[in-house]
Amino acid sequence: MNREGFDAGRLARTAVGQRFFAVLVLLVVITVGFILTQERFFTSGNVKALLTSAAILWVVSIGLTFVMLAGGFDLSIGSTLALSSIALGQFVNHFGAPPILAILLTLVFGALLGGAVNGVLVGPVGLSFLVVTLGTLILFRGALNLWSDTKTEQVVSPLLDSLAFDSFLGIPYPVWIMVATFLVALYVQRSTYFGRDVYAVGGNADAARLSGVRVGRTIIAVYAISGLLAAFGGVLQTARIGAASPQVGESVLFDAAAAVLLGGTSFAGGLGGVGGTIVGVLFLATLQNGLSVSGVASFWQQIITGAILLAAILLDRIQRQGLPGFPRRPGTADEPAASAPPGGGG
Amino acid sequence: MLVAEGVHKRYGGARALQGASLSLYPGEVHGLCGENGSGKSTLLKIISAQVAADQGRVSLDGRPTHFGDASRALAAGIATVTQERALVDDLSVAENIFLGPRKPRTWRGVDWRETRRLAQRLLDSLGCDIDLDAPVGRLRPDLQQMVEIARALSTDARVLILDEPTSSLADDEVESLFEAVRTLKGSGVATVFVSHRLREVFALCDRLTVLRDGEVVGTGAIGDFDERRLVSLMLGREPDELIAGDRRPDHLDDAVLRVRNLRVPGRLDGIGFDIGPGEIVGLAGLVGAGRSSLLGALFGLEQETTGTVEVEGRRVAPRGPAQAMAAGFGYVPADRKEEGLVLDMSVRENLLMARASRRTRLARPSRAAERRAVEEAVRDFQISAAATDAPVSRLSGGNQQKVVLAKWFATEPRVLLLDEPTRGVDVGAKAEIYRLLEQAKERGLAILVSSSETSELLHLCDRVLVMARGRITARFDRDDADEAVITRAAMGVSG
Repeated sequence: MNREGFDAGRLARTAVGQRFFAVLVLLVVITVGFILTQERFFTSGNVKALLTSAAILWVVSIGLTFVMLAGGFDLSIGSTLALSSIALGQFVNHFGAPPILAILLTLVFGALLGGAVNGVLVGPVGLSFLVVTLGTLILFRGALNLWSDTKTEQVVSPLLDSLAFDSFLGIPYPVWIMVATFLVALYVQRSTYFGRDVYAVGGNADAARLSGVRVGRTIIAVYAISGLLAAFGGVLQTARIGAASPQVGESVLFDAAAAVLLGGTSFAGGLGGVGGTIVGVLFLATLQNGLSVSGVASFWQQIITGAILLAAILLDRIQRQGLPGFPRRPGTADEPAASAPPGGGG
Repeated sequence: MLVAEGVHKRYGGARALQGASLSLYPGEVHGLCGENGSGKSTLLKIISAQVAADQGRVSLDGRPTHFGDASRALAAGIATVTQERALVDDLSVAENIFLGPRKPRTWRGVDWRETRRLAQRLLDSLGCDIDLDAPVGRLRPDLQQMVEIARALSTDARVLILDEPTSSLADDEVESLFEAVRTLKGSGVATVFVSHRLREVFALCDRLTVLRDGEVVGTGAIGDFDERRLVSLMLGREPDELIAGDRRPDHLDDAVLRVRNLRVPGRLDGIGFDIGPGEIVGLAGLVGAGRSSLLGALFGLEQETTGTVEVEGRRVAPRGPAQAMAAGFGYVPADRKEEGLVLDMSVRENLLMARASRRTRLARPSRAAERRAVEEAVRDFQISAAATDAPVSRLSGGNQQKVVLAKWFATEPRVLLLDEPTRGVDVGAKAEIYRLLEQAKERGLAILVSSSETSELLHLCDRVLVMARGRITARFDRDDADEAVITRAAMGVSG
């Protein structure tokens, strides 16, 4: 990981070794395919639209990646996103908060929902993450319907408008936000002690604890990150439609889970990273955009996504353990063939 | 009724049994004694047809039997209860006794009334009173043991093999188990009883067979043996006079680690000792004697620890590993794959994991300092890892263990706790680990090593503490002790 100058060969070898390599190849293939067959695909307008539309999924998936690296899962991200959107509307419309303060409050609110509720119950209390986040999935959804009276409310704010629709140096703000979120997440994942704790907790929580890692705090932190980024998704959603709506975010969980898994992060924790996750997000976004540009019915996107997700996971299993019924030869048995060096998610 | 003759068994190059024999009569309790590795388990597995013998024959009621598999042995009436529990905690006592497809049936399905009736009859035959509907997980350990025995008997077993059934039981629980075994004697069941606790063997058995290195070195009625003779048969030589261990806590003025009256309910009782700078102290004892609990209690892993622990004169009461490390402890757990390492992470990251725990979480690790630390560790510990970025799962067992040691040395502890530090490593790595501990000793660390290999403790340690049933029962200086003496102390032989 010591970087002495740029080495294209090393970079290529690193890429091949990554768990998300197959999906990266597919992404390139479909991108080239769409460029060759659809002249409307590779226009600056369409590329901007593609990236902008992926912004919400992008930030939410990065948050989910941290939870999954630590060996957990967060079913509540869609509800957290929607609840944060309602909260933002309330802060702006009913508390008269200045937009920038309202946005920051919303982010803190999301981090608290994730960390103080999900994180505390899963980490220090030690409840099952599936039960806890299923509970908060339902709970947050009910709370936001109560709070919003199930009504969509306009949120008028120049700041939010420009967040969704303006550009800086010819690049839309959502894309800047995506790049910034990714770089910060990559830094935290690769270059901080906290990032290592996340991998250690996901890889072997007992060993991590006996090495002095504060496992409970690490788990609180990953759920707080997930909540924070889901709230950020809620802010972007509110900005895009100019309203706080209780109906948003109902499908984001499935897309985010697909993106993270396509990106090679293991359900068992400890393997993968945000680098793979953005490949997964770009794959989903490109597929959706390309198919709609081609005029193909949108359910094909679901069929292809589902099939590729299954294929990717099966491929990973075969690489690691051999085909079912065909045990790997002795001597290679405990070597995960496709394991990325943790932290090498770039 | 059951006779095994001239049984030979090899595992690879190692001879497990050489012409061992065993005969059982109806209604007797037959003790099987021997040190670890003497072939007891192999013989039991051959009798119960879990493994096939290379040579020799086993016959039941005079008919030669070559049991093909364990289920046929079970059908022939040989049942085994091992020290590992095989019960489903959440199911009731009755269901556990008839676990699986053996429940009586009617055309409507399982006949629960008949199941309960049969279960009750089995428990009555053991002379014990257990609520049939209680979930097994809530029972006392000895009653759980009874349920297992009842299940073994539910197959109409006539030979019952009890492999160290008492290792997890308290004294009064052992007595209730013995009562049940004596009740069974009356109904003609032959029982094979394995225990390291000689007192129990003498209390329960009618006859004894002693194994050493896969051979039977003695067999006969219990009256032909006394504890001294039994131990010398097991060890193959006369034990020296037992040195009466000094039971007072030995006091050192310059103790790095001082422990007084350490107590964990049900596991440790009144533990007290000192370890000086540059001293290696060994913990000997049978499995379940409390060695691991003691190390865990010092490292803050036990919930209800009471008593005083001082590190270099400062009183500490760590709650959790992070605090224990801050107090100066390092801990090498027994199971390196489950507890010592994150297998998917690289050698480097494993090495740095414990060291990093004192830093601020959002800090950026200094790459130069880390590289130096890793290089030092690889050099000092001769870890043969071509690439320190490779996952640690690719290393051999010995190298993995060295990574665990290096990880803890890097935290610069004052007290190093090691649980079975050489389990499952090859001879070369073993010697290497000894050398590293000697080095640590020269640097003035206080080191506490728990091991089930007595020879290892005698080689490595300045002093040895022997534990039994959660207490320290004997203390030896290295020069005063030999294996026989320590083994006898661990087995609870007095005088």
